[in-house]
Amino acid sequence: MASTTTSPPAGVQVSHPVRRAKRAPALRRMRLRRALPGYLMLLPFAALFAGFLVWPLLNSLYFAFTNYNGVKPPTLVGFDNFQRLWFEDERFRTALVNSFAYVAATVTLTTVLALALAVAFHGTSWRDRIMRTLFFLPAVTSTIAVALIWRWIFTVEDFGLANTVIGWVGVEPVQWLATPSLTIPILVVMAVWGGCGYGMVIFVAGLNAIPEEHYESARLDGANAWQQFWYITLPQLKPVTTYVVITSLISAFQVFEAVYIVFRGVSSVGGVQDSGLMLVPYLYDMGFTKFQLGYASAIAWSLFIVIFVVSMIQLRVTRALREL
Amino acid sequence: MRTRLAVAAAAITALVAGCTTSGGGDEPAQEAEGPASLTFWNTGSDEHAAALQVVADIYKQSHPDVTIKVQALSWDDGHAKVLTAATSRTGPDIISGGMSWGIEFGELGGMIDLNAQDIGSIKSQTRPEVLKAITSPSGAVYGVSFDNAFYLLFYRPDLLQKAGLSGPPKTWEELTAAITKLKAAGVKTPLVENWNTFEWLPWFNWLKQAGGSLYADDCSKATIDSDPAVLATATWAKQFREHGVPKAATDSAAGLANGEVAMAIDGSWVANAIDTTHPQLKGKWQVAALPTGPAGPGTFVGGRIVGVMAYTKYPKAATEFIKWLYTDEAIQLLQKEVYNKSGELWLSPRADQIDTLTTTDNVKQTLKTTMETVSGPPNCKGWEVSQAEVTKKLQSVVNDNVDPKQALGEAATIMNNNLK
Repeated sequence: MASTTTSPPAGVQVSHPVRRAKRAPALRRMRLRRALPGYLMLLPFAALFAGFLVWPLLNSLYFAFTNYNGVKPPTLVGFDNFQRLWFEDERFRTALVNSFAYVAATVTLTTVLALALAVAFHGTSWRDRIMRTLFFLPAVTSTIAVALIWRWIFTVEDFGLANTVIGWVGVEPVQWLATPSLTIPILVVMAVWGGCGYGMVIFVAGLNAIPEEHYESARLDGANAWQQFWYITLPQLKPVTTYVVITSLISAFQVFEAVYIVFRGVSSVGGVQDSGLMLVPYLYDMGFTKFQLGYASAIAWSLFIVIFVVSMIQLRVTRALREL
Repeated sequence: MRTRLAVAAAAITALVAGCTTSGGGDEPAQEAEGPASLTFWNTGSDEHAAALQVVADIYKQSHPDVTIKVQALSWDDGHAKVLTAATSRTGPDIISGGMSWGIEFGELGGMIDLNAQDIGSIKSQTRPEVLKAITSPSGAVYGVSFDNAFYLLFYRPDLLQKAGLSGPPKTWEELTAAITKLKAAGVKTPLVENWNTFEWLPWFNWLKQAGGSLYADDCSKATIDSDPAVLATATWAKQFREHGVPKAATDSAAGLANGEVAMAIDGSWVANAIDTTHPQLKGKWQVAALPTGPAGPGTFVGGRIVGVMAYTKYPKAATEFIKWLYTDEAIQLLQKEVYNKSGELWLSPRADQIDTLTTTDNVKQTLKTTMETVSGPPNCKGWEVSQAEVTKKLQSVVNDNVDPKQALGEAATIMNNNLK
């Protein structure tokens, strides 16, 4: 019987694969020994990540295709929740429109204001440091506490700061929180005030990373301050701007506390005539007030799709602009 | 690579397939052996929970085998927390909460039907209107009335007198006239309306006073678009549009104290709180029943229910404690403790206990009179889901000048759809 094994031709480096195969388990053991402490150190985080993020996410994906009230076992309903949500639910449409209006205004204003503040206060002087700290303070303050203070500011009663201020110039008191046309503007003001400090810090880091030589060359070429900003600062800040816009966009889509604390009524979480109803408050309302947890999960996954699509569009647009 | 993908896909499939809930037990609760240790989530303030704990400790003296620990649950997130408890089947044995919570959580399978625990004595001591509101369409009672609250008219007699009024308004017409006179006399905001301002709850008072209702008695259809309801809505809207009643909640006690508010339609619990928060106002305010409409008097009755969670190991012990809460001893203790700890009025569902409240004769008499005219929230299917839409339609009458008939017609359509 002919042997199936063939001898290597003379002169050829013998048994390279064979030796490697023999060494493989030893290598694997060595690599494992080397990597084991790292994996062990990762384990607590991985366990928490799996338990508190991956598992709930998978659960919510499953519930999105079920009819589930939180107590009785869920029953599969296929795509019914998504069909009802996207094609029949007027409140979802209201929440979607409100969310887009809020996001557009908030992201634009936050980014512009954050950039302006960063340009104004990016130095190392005490004045700049103090101003940066002041503008950053809202970002490290409890959102609940901030929302409560805004609620007081816009209250109809005498201690309402907004009415007091407009009263100084003879304007009649306004029922800020009960006037639907003012709801989104108030929420935008709150978000911009609370978010521009964080954006400013990111922009300051970006500004300080721009080589000073660029500006020196530009000055030698006779560029004025505006030209330096337009042709050096802005283009150099594109990656930072993209980051600020994307993170502001995601957090704006996920707004909850401001609506819940400032505008919530007993009958509706979205304020007077649902004027402040956004996607996450609506999700909360359907899940925890109306016990439609399957439907609320469908809203959550729809929100994920919306944010994903908008972020992708934004990234593509940024890339296209960079290539111009 | 393919193997890894296949393993990952299989793992995800297995995880998703395994995503079953721990809830879902429809099996009847069985009483566990031995001493009962009960947890009571009381929706309300810390002071209320502390008052209830005193009462629970006194209960233990006559029931040494039952220990009750009372924990305060805030109104803001109480509903979500009870839902979480019902879902995970862990948490309190007894809960108190909004009047509709019993039916809501009970229909989900989260609370037990107390009818199985012989609550005849409690039912006989509960006003029929309240009993109707807490009884599910199937006849189940998942939570019995724990305390009651209804709307009253608080006012400053001196301000009314200054405006040339001899007393509080007794009818809608007198209310309108009083607002006009008070405004002319320089009162900044003659009337405020609290307790769910600019929502369906205070509107419900007007509906009852006009002779309307939300649903037919047998819950077969919505009747919110009837002529009395249209009249009630138009009149309710007029107070915001023409008479300067704020659409946002205000601190009525502070307004009465500083003289900027002359009349306040507010919850009955405010009665004693006025003196506590504004001692300078003691003896300077009075209370009256709400003005009557074309069909007579009427006010919404709310308050809390108390019930037993479905997963408790001690359904009998928990129900026995709830039954004891209806005794003279427990009621008078709660009245005293709530008053001592928070200065508020605790109103038992038992009208015969009003006389033992620590309050003025004027308040006692008004409470008694008003209690005769109360109506609870509807117990018809779909009301919980409909109320946000109904509120929006009502608000559109005020904000967008929508015709009340049209707004209520749209509300009726929504309510009828949710009845199915």
